[in-house]
Amino acid sequence: MAAGPALLYWFPDEAGPATAGRSRTPYLGHQVLARRGSAIHVLMIEDDAAIAEMYRLQLEHDGYTVTVATTGELGFSTLSGSTPNIVLLDLLLPDQSGFEVLASLNARLPNHPPVVILSNYGEPSMIDKGRALGAVEYLVKSRVTPAEISGQIPVWVERGRRGRQES
Amino acid sequence: MTPAVTLVQDLTAAGFVALALAIAYRWYRERGHAQGKLAASLLALAFVAGFSRLPPSAFLSVVLVIAFMLSGFFVLLFRNDFVPLSRRVYLAAYVLLGVSIVVGVLDVVALQHASPLLMSAAAFVLITAWAIFTGEPIVRFWLASNSLPAVQKARMRFLSLGFAVLIAILFVDVLGGSALQSPAALIITQLLALAVVPLIFVSLAPPALLRRIWRMGEENALRPAMQDLLIFSSNQQELADRAVFWAVRLLGATAGFIADAKGNVIASVGIDADRPVASISGQGDETHQVVRAPLHLGDEGHGTLAVVGGRFTPLFGTDEISQLRAYANSVSAGLQRVRVTERMAAIEKNKSQFLNLASHELRGPVTVIRGYVSMLEGGLLGNLNERGRKAAGVMAAKVSEMNELIEEMIEAARLEEGGLTLRPVDADLREIARSAVATVAPLADSHHRVVLDLPERRVRVRLDPDRTRTIIANLLSNAIKYSPGGGEITCQVRARAGVARVAVTDQGLGIARDALPILFTRFGRVITPQTEHLQGTGLGLFLGRQLARLQGGDITVASVEGEGSTFTLQLPVAGAAEAAPPPSSPAKAESDGAGAAGQPSGAPQARAQR
Repeated sequence: MAAGPALLYWFPDEAGPATAGRSRTPYLGHQVLARRGSAIHVLMIEDDAAIAEMYRLQLEHDGYTVTVATTGELGFSTLSGSTPNIVLLDLLLPDQSGFEVLASLNARLPNHPPVVILSNYGEPSMIDKGRALGAVEYLVKSRVTPAEISGQIPVWVERGRRGRQES
Repeated sequence: MTPAVTLVQDLTAAGFVALALAIAYRWYRERGHAQGKLAASLLALAFVAGFSRLPPSAFLSVVLVIAFMLSGFFVLLFRNDFVPLSRRVYLAAYVLLGVSIVVGVLDVVALQHASPLLMSAAAFVLITAWAIFTGEPIVRFWLASNSLPAVQKARMRFLSLGFAVLIAILFVDVLGGSALQSPAALIITQLLALAVVPLIFVSLAPPALLRRIWRMGEENALRPAMQDLLIFSSNQQELADRAVFWAVRLLGATAGFIADAKGNVIASVGIDADRPVASISGQGDETHQVVRAPLHLGDEGHGTLAVVGGRFTPLFGTDEISQLRAYANSVSAGLQRVRVTERMAAIEKNKSQFLNLASHELRGPVTVIRGYVSMLEGGLLGNLNERGRKAAGVMAAKVSEMNELIEEMIEAARLEEGGLTLRPVDADLREIARSAVATVAPLADSHHRVVLDLPERRVRVRLDPDRTRTIIANLLSNAIKYSPGGGEITCQVRARAGVARVAVTDQGLGIARDALPILFTRFGRVITPQTEHLQGTGLGLFLGRQLARLQGGDITVASVEGEGSTFTLQLPVAGAAEAAPPPSSPAKAESDGAGAAGQPSGAPQARAQR
């Protein structure tokens, strides 16, 4: 019996990798893409050290520069100090919610890098809210692996760049 | 005086004596406080009726006049017990009693030989006083009866009517004078007076048959109300509120309340919120006005259904009081039912909340395990040897299973909280089935053959494609899981008469007939020696059916134990009129990695349903 593929039967059209964005490009392709080793700077706003460390391992392995901020406020100071190419944002943070971070980001830094929400909650209302606040993607953490995220990052960065050009 | 007149007069006298004795006996047995006055009045009246049959003497006449006036005065006192008279009226009544007795005695002693006019005037004063004593109460009773339940109303009206007839007879007698001294007139008036006896008796001690007749109309209205009350009240508060309302109406009372076992009032009607209930239910002066019936609340003890009697309730509501006790038993049962329902709803809610919380909390650790396992497998954490790779593979499969369980639990919680949103789009059911088969392909062993049997024309449906794929994939994965011996698994898609069907048929273990009902329940798993080692959450079919029903469809099952099962997902075809099914032979497609197809379509289904 093949153990490899994750069989998520209850995988509705919400926050699953199968429907990441509107493109249904296979992940493997992006993984190859990512391994070219760009100078992409990833800011991860995540208070769970185990998750942050795991992602750092994968992303740095794939050649990204990774900064981890454990609170929303630390995330802001990182954003004002340097300019990451993409923000991976958790929703449950010790000082404020990810939605609040995103809302004030929209207000204070209109040209902020693309934001991908990574949460443990995948309720339709929260996904809609995240999208309404301008997140390029909303994903449920347990449904994706770091490798899948890593592979998708160039796509999101590109989408964010195009989005800014259009606006 | 003819013998007939004498006979009727004797009969009337006997009737009144019998009535007075019966009422006095009832009063003696029950010691009804209020009925005492009425019993005294009737005794006095009977005394008059009885002793007036004796040979006349001056002394007897004086005694009879006094007894007669007292019989009227007691009716006023009787009424005074319910609605106290003002002090002035009360004094005036005593003065009137004194004056009338003096006039009566004068009439007997001094006016024997005066002019008939003067005698008539004296008699007029007497019966006017008597009419005032009895007339005021009977008018009041009649008016008060309007707002009361049928039995009380009838009883009060009969009492009023009885005394009204007596007053009328007395006036006619005195005013009619010699014109009414003919035997026929005497017999008629005596018979009328005799008719008063049953009227008054019925008002004070109505026989069961009469009560039933009086109550009939009311009970017809009460019965549906009771049913509504006991069966359809959705929560304790609603039931208690309605129960009090009906209890008050049933007794024609002014107020009422329901207290639980601890004495807390949970519902009330007509009670001033500022007024402490203790003062009503306590041992104060008003105690006799409060009618109480115990409510049996199971292990919680006894509550109380209490009704604050109206002014005439204690006397005229005796029947309703016993009815109230029976009613209280029904209310007890209803309250217990609602309590159990509420408790179960609370448990269900807790379960859903727990499901929701636990599943979200589980996502965190699963994320980390899943992430690291995938990195182990991918070699990112260093190269593993053969055994290590194998272990990583098993871990990845198990963590996926765990993830699946969590997702199912969240979906189930969402479903029960009503937070599940479907996103319907126009789709081809063949495409959905195809992708579902692709999803489960990795599960199939070499001895499983997954056959996809699709019609040539597209099957147009409007539904949530991801959830529908999930339902079909779940049916397929069950078919594989419960066919440990391998065999063919068919996924057949058809559309006919506006209904699209996806039938998933296996040649596996099958399901015993008596186990079928639990299949679709939440956490309902059929555990047999063959299946106990197979893992599952018992949520898949529950969710599948619920999701199918949310989309206007359903899942049905046909199974023969030991031979296999067919689960059929039915869904409405979009624009059903247009979707006439083609009778052409269906095209068959093989799923990835499955063996050769070629079995005639429909055959597995027929086998399983045999």
